[in-house]
Amino acid sequence: MSERDVTKPHDTGRKIPPIAISETSTLVNPTGSWKYIMPRYEDRVAPCNAGCPVGIDIEGYMYLIGQGRLQEAADLLVRENPMPAVTGRVCHHPCEDSCNRASLDEAVAIHSVERRLGDMILAAPPPPAPERTREETVAVIGSGPAGLSCACFLARLGYGVTVFEAAAEAGGMLRLGIPEYRLPRAILDRQIERIQAAGIDLRTSTRVGTDVPWAEVDAFDAVFVAPGAHVGKDSRIDGAESVSAIRPGLEFLKEVNAGGRPDLGERVIVVGGGNTAMDCARSALRLGADVTVLYRRTPREMPAIPQEVREAKQEGVEFEFLAAPIGVAKEGGVFTGITCQRMELGEPDESGRRRPVPIEGDTFTTKADTVLTAIGEDCDLSFLPGDIGTTWGLVEVDELGESTSATVFAGGDVVDMPRSVADALGAGKRAAIGIDHFLREKAGEDVGEVPLDDLRFGGGNVSALRYSKDADPIPREAPVNQTVTWDQMNPHHFQTAPRHEDHFHDAIDLRSAFGETNFGLSQKEAIEEAERCLNCGVCNRCELCLIFCPDMAISRREDGGFEIDMRYCKGCGLCAAECPRGAVTMTREGI
Amino acid sequence: MKKVMIGNHAVSWGVLRSRVEVISAYPITPQTQIVEALSDMVADGSLPAQYIKVESEHSAMAACIGGSIAGTRTFTATSAQGLALMHEMLHWAAGGRLPVVMANVNRAMAPGWTIWTDQNDSLSQRDTGWIQLYCETNQEVFDTTVQAFKLAETVDLPVMLVLDAFFLSHTSEPVDVTEQEDVDRFLPQRDATFKMDTSDPHAFGALVRPDAYTEMRWQQQEAMHEARDVFRQVEDVWEAITGRRYGAVEAYRTEDADLLLVTSGTITSTARTVVDERRAGGEKVGLLKVKMFRPFPTEELRGHLGGVDRVAVLDRNISPGHGGIFAEEIRSALYDVPPEDRPNLFGYVLGLGGRDVTPTVISDIIDNCRSTARPEREDLWVGVEL
Repeated sequence: MSERDVTKPHDTGRKIPPIAISETSTLVNPTGSWKYIMPRYEDRVAPCNAGCPVGIDIEGYMYLIGQGRLQEAADLLVRENPMPAVTGRVCHHPCEDSCNRASLDEAVAIHSVERRLGDMILAAPPPPAPERTREETVAVIGSGPAGLSCACFLARLGYGVTVFEAAAEAGGMLRLGIPEYRLPRAILDRQIERIQAAGIDLRTSTRVGTDVPWAEVDAFDAVFVAPGAHVGKDSRIDGAESVSAIRPGLEFLKEVNAGGRPDLGERVIVVGGGNTAMDCARSALRLGADVTVLYRRTPREMPAIPQEVREAKQEGVEFEFLAAPIGVAKEGGVFTGITCQRMELGEPDESGRRRPVPIEGDTFTTKADTVLTAIGEDCDLSFLPGDIGTTWGLVEVDELGESTSATVFAGGDVVDMPRSVADALGAGKRAAIGIDHFLREKAGEDVGEVPLDDLRFGGGNVSALRYSKDADPIPREAPVNQTVTWDQMNPHHFQTAPRHEDHFHDAIDLRSAFGETNFGLSQKEAIEEAERCLNCGVCNRCELCLIFCPDMAISRREDGGFEIDMRYCKGCGLCAAECPRGAVTMTREGI
Repeated sequence: MKKVMIGNHAVSWGVLRSRVEVISAYPITPQTQIVEALSDMVADGSLPAQYIKVESEHSAMAACIGGSIAGTRTFTATSAQGLALMHEMLHWAAGGRLPVVMANVNRAMAPGWTIWTDQNDSLSQRDTGWIQLYCETNQEVFDTTVQAFKLAETVDLPVMLVLDAFFLSHTSEPVDVTEQEDVDRFLPQRDATFKMDTSDPHAFGALVRPDAYTEMRWQQQEAMHEARDVFRQVEDVWEAITGRRYGAVEAYRTEDADLLLVTSGTITSTARTVVDERRAGGEKVGLLKVKMFRPFPTEELRGHLGGVDRVAVLDRNISPGHGGIFAEEIRSALYDVPPEDRPNLFGYVLGLGGRDVTPTVISDIIDNCRSTARPEREDLWVGVEL
């Protein structure tokens, strides 16, 4: 018989806690030894950056706005884009087409934010001119977006720059081609003044080849050729040459943009489907005409910016699709209109768009007092010496804008690339880098190759900041030059929020018909819009990795970033899976 | 402050007054209004708590467990299949000695698919180590919610308060909402016995060898026993503040009764009216309401039932293959009553899947209980019509 009652608890001095809790700290168990794969903070490139022809760190300035650092955001923007107040208004913003947020709800209205920052920059006095650190001087032919961009970046790189402009005022197509209601002249003037304030010698009313010989520009250490495309293509309307009522649209725009108010009569036909056609149509409308745009394909193939087409329709421009002008209609020897050929869409052409094919025997006549042709422009390259190679009327250049002649670079509408303000600005920046590299090499510096792939945002345009090796204001962690796609992100942590749309004039006020139609966003709206940015690929310190780490192996560094205690990280991958922006990578390296 | 509110919102108000710090829940009818109101309170800042959205009840309880280990006051609510899905985590909360409080709105288990009330969902969790308290009115729901935190945090055990689907959850009654400062005096901020300390991390719920597991269960059982006394003390304090008490077991007109009805939940209110009628007719009928199911109030039940001639236990639940669950538990408790004092126990099964239990039904049961000396079988099913 046992001496003690087995049903009574017996105190043996053992200290059994009421719950299962480890006696020692779990710190003695280095769970990190289990891992076969480990996380690494690796920031990537947002698709907007990669999609920007200018090479703007859009994600970067959105990040800074999100942090309330507006001025730094503006500084970063203008570091890569010398004229944001212009592009915020007239760029076709391919950045928004590539915005990942479109997969969540709607793309961020990047152009509206850029415009707001651009206007903020214009409101402040220009910064002091960059220091002249290079002896060499560069001649720039043309003061459109390509020329001014190249001049601006060259000045920042320390060069002396002289810009030769054939027109009386600088701006190129921005001034001659784009109507005031899209780009107010006060904005353009101030933007150009700022660029000029970088120490650029601007010589207007000076056409190279006429007012100064090529030899004079060739005497500079390098030349950037960006005169634009100003020669309207042949209208291919039989008998048009003898009819003054049929005129190139660009010529009409130049007249109106210079303050002219020509009498077009009651009915105007605009031929073409690009931005020049939209500008002609809406300008003609503002002169009191009824306007119809004649386009040989369908709305789907129109190269014009969709917003421009929308606004044209809202203002009352009519559209006639699948029709091309072929001849002049006259009554009693007096011009009354044009005859047109009905078209249908055939096989796709080299541009991928379906080619318009005439429908045999299907023609019609339409009345017109004026016909404006806007079917594209050619370049006048007659001033260039013969040793500079051209193809199809365009200057042959490499990626950095260098032509077949070592000292001559080119960009903008005279080279083979999409004809947009953004592409021109981007080409100017690339050429500035090309020229800097060329001149340094020539001066005997060991510059090697331009690391073009590293300078690009993903597969997009180059970054001037990267080229200068200046400090990135965005605390990017081990950046990898790859674009983040939507499927690499974790959308579950995002909430939908409607896009802020620009404010527009409700209808045309004819008394101020050429006043700006788009008022953009207020400062508050623009900041809210910037806060819609998902910061694709870039850690914005949201802390989800730290919250989700089951081993509490992630902690804050003093600089606000995170560090992972690899002694305890067991490589579960939760941080990478939860990271909303694809800024954490799991890797086998270093195990 | 008196407000007219549904039973579900009486829970929400109880949680608000208890200054809960972490709420995690997954919606399920008929519970959803509880956490809906709470999410509003969290959103508008009136309840400064973390509201953790989850993808299942299993995760909801897991989140509550995490919150509780971190030392916070935590709450969740569920029903039926949701509670069943939590089952594994219920053991973790209880074995971890975590004072999580949960409201379970009694809803019958599917299939057949149903949203109406019976007690099988909560009673199926009998052996998980949770204290279970069944409520009769919305006022009792509010009071019990606040008391549950006090009780749970005193004995380090989780508490499930239980209310009937629709009969309470969706029915409006006036509720005296105790003022915040009074609740604050009654229920100060939680002072956790065990708490995770990230600067000195320990493993919770780690491996326990056979040489210590029994001792842990022993301590858990001791806490359950202690909970009986603690509940009494909790009610003492609450009564001093509010004037209201319910008791683990409430005796209603039991004096000199030869027949006692035993009920839980809202059937109790119906039974009260029947008892009143019968008493008016001179019949010695009384009522025993069982509020506390775990820990089981064995002694109190023996005290009330010993020496009574007949006991009719009304079970809105069924343990298939055995009988009504309260009846079986009470039958077992009465085994130690001397044979001469041991009542004849009639176990009635009724009201399943939300079927209404009317005064007539209870009246018929009283007549049935008097009609024979001994019950024909351990489970007497009421109102089955095939």
